[in-house]
Amino acid sequence: MAKEVILDCLGEACPVPLVKAENALKEMDIEDVLVVQCDHSCAMKNLPEWARKEGHFVDIEEVDDGEWEIIIEKAK
Amino acid sequence: MEFLKKLRDNVFFKKWFKTPYTYVTGAILLSIFQIITFGITGNPWGVSGVLANWGAWLFEAVGGSVDKWYYFSSEGAQRTLEAGFMNHAGTMRNIGIIFGALFASLMASQFKIKKIKSKKQIVAAVLGGLLMGYGARIAGGCNIGALFSGISSLSFSGWVFAFFMFFGAVAGSKLLVKYFM
Repeated sequence: MAKEVILDCLGEACPVPLVKAENALKEMDIEDVLVVQCDHSCAMKNLPEWARKEGHFVDIEEVDDGEWEIIIEKAK
Repeated sequence: MEFLKKLRDNVFFKKWFKTPYTYVTGAILLSIFQIITFGITGNPWGVSGVLANWGAWLFEAVGGSVDKWYYFSSEGAQRTLEAGFMNHAGTMRNIGIIFGALFASLMASQFKIKKIKSKKQIVAAVLGGLLMGYGARIAGGCNIGALFSGISSLSFSGWVFAFFMFFGAVAGSKLLVKYFM
């Protein structure tokens, strides 16, 4: 069964969320889901861009004022 | 409340205030505004040099004097310091940047006071700030004054700055990943 990993990047600025997400995704299997919690608006732009370029499925949810969850499903 | 709800769903409000601009839109806006600032103030856009003046005014306010400092020894620098905080175009622009950023994050409902996660983050921020501030002064500008304004003035120095900044960024990223993550 696919598992879900939650990555707490609240209070972290670029490029830390991207590097952490990259490392976490490496350890995961296909169809696993990574949820990156972040409150840095640049990461909200560059993280999904990178993940989509890598071919993963990405969804962004604004969970609170200035707080997002970037949901990445590993595709390959 | 009904009005605010309508405003939030308005297509132009979403476009201008809520969703981030593309890099191309940002680049075009920056280009237009740097031309305007050059035309009005007679100087290319800079950010960090202004902060050095703020430091000097702060130091003078508590009784210090920077008359003998090499950095402020030119006649132009002395004249700027004498004219004061309120008559300095760059100061007004930097204050505008701070309040503009606040305004933008409030309009997008993205204002948030962030938690400090660890002591490491404080060390990294303080060290990074000191190094960037010192580096910008001995380089004669930051990534705005030396890089952006340098290149847009067709000056070769801007490209030299870009070349070395690239290697600085590589080294900085390696240090960040190794010691601060």
